[in-house]
Amino acid sequence: MAAKPIPQQVLYCPVCSLPAEYCEYGPDFEKCKPWLIKNAPELYPELAKEAADKTAEQLEGLEVSSASKSQGSTSDSKPEEVKKLPGGKVKKKEKPEVVVEKVVRNKRKCVTIIKGLDMFGVKLSDASKKLGKKFASGASVVKGPTEKEQIDVQGDIMYDIVEFITETWTNVPESAIYFMEEGRKVPATA
Amino acid sequence: MFKKFTSEEISAQNQVKASVQRKIRQSISEEYPDLEPILDELLPKKSPLIVAKCQNHINLVVVNNVPLFFNVRDGPYMPTLRLLHQYPSIMKMLRVDRGAIKFVLAGANIMCPGLTSAGGALDEEVPAEAPVAIMAEGKQHALAIGYTKMSAKDIKSINKGIGVDNMHYLNDGLWKTLHLD
Repeated sequence: MAAKPIPQQVLYCPVCSLPAEYCEYGPDFEKCKPWLIKNAPELYPELAKEAADKTAEQLEGLEVSSASKSQGSTSDSKPEEVKKLPGGKVKKKEKPEVVVEKVVRNKRKCVTIIKGLDMFGVKLSDASKKLGKKFASGASVVKGPTEKEQIDVQGDIMYDIVEFITETWTNVPESAIYFMEEGRKVPATA
Repeated sequence: MFKKFTSEEISAQNQVKASVQRKIRQSISEEYPDLEPILDELLPKKSPLIVAKCQNHINLVVVNNVPLFFNVRDGPYMPTLRLLHQYPSIMKMLRVDRGAIKFVLAGANIMCPGLTSAGGALDEEVPAEAPVAIMAEGKQHALAIGYTKMSAKDIKSINKGIGVDNMHYLNDGLWKTLHLD
C-alpha cells in the first residue's frame, strides 16, 4: 500500500469560488481583484502594481485620503447594481420583490400565488408551512413557469398577506410587495 | 454536462445498500489506485453513502452532503474538482495551452490542437475513454475533468477535432453545488 497522500490545500477565491489562479477567467475578475491583491499577490504581480497606481490616481483626483481606499479596495467605489455578463453585456440586477397574484379557478375558488420570497433569503418550505398555518389552508411550494419556485396558497388571502409577510420576515419591506392585477404590477402600499 | 446543474435536477437521493456501497468503493479504487489509502476517510464505512440520481443519467456519490464523485450511466466514477484539487495525483493529466483555458471554462470540449501545441502536454499512456484531469499551461490546479474520446497517441497523430469530452469544469453547476440537502 502506498503512503497516504496528504490532501493539498488550494487557495480558493471567496468572491468567485475558483482557485485563485483562475480568477482571471472567472465571471467577474474585477470584483476578485481586491481580494487577490491582498491574499495572492504572487499570482498576479502586475495587479498589485496596477492597484497601487489606481489608488494613487484616485487620491489625486478626489483629494480625499481615506484609509480604506489605500488598501486597494476598488470595489466599494462603484455601488451601482450593474452586473457584467461574460459577453460584455450589462444586465441590471433583478430587484428583490415579492409578487402576490390571485388566480381564480372554478369561478368561486381561488389560489394565491406568492413569488419571489426566496430572494429575501426566506426558506420557501418554511414559508409555506407558516402560511398554511396562518390561513388554515393548503400551501405548497410549486415550481413556477420560469424555473422559479413559488408558493401556492389555497383561498383568497390577499387582504392580509402583506401584513403577514412584513411581520414574519422583517427584512421584506412593504414597498417591495406587489400585487398582480390584470397583468400589471401594482404596489401593495396604496 | 454540468453547465446548468442545480440541486433541482436531482430527482432522487437514496441511501444505498451496503452491497452497492461496496461496489462503488471497489470501482473507485480500481479506477484510482492511488486513492485507495485514503478511501476509508473519504467514504467512511460507517457513515451513510448517498447516491443522488440526476437528469441525463448522472449519478452523484454524496457523503455528508458533499458530492465527491459522479458518473454517467454505468461509466467510471470521476472525482469532483474540489476533491481532485486535494489529491491531484490520482488522475492522469493532460495539459492544455493558455488559449484554451477560456473555452474549457465555458464548458467546451477539449480539441486536440490545444493539447498538442507548445503549451499543452500529453501523457502518452492515456487510452481512449478514460477519465482524465485537465490542467492548464502555467497553472497548478486542474481546471476540468474530462473523458477521453481517443487515446493520447491518436490525439497526437490525428490532431483534429474533439480529443477529450469536458465532463466537469471550474465554476459549472456541480462546482457551485457545495452541499446537498
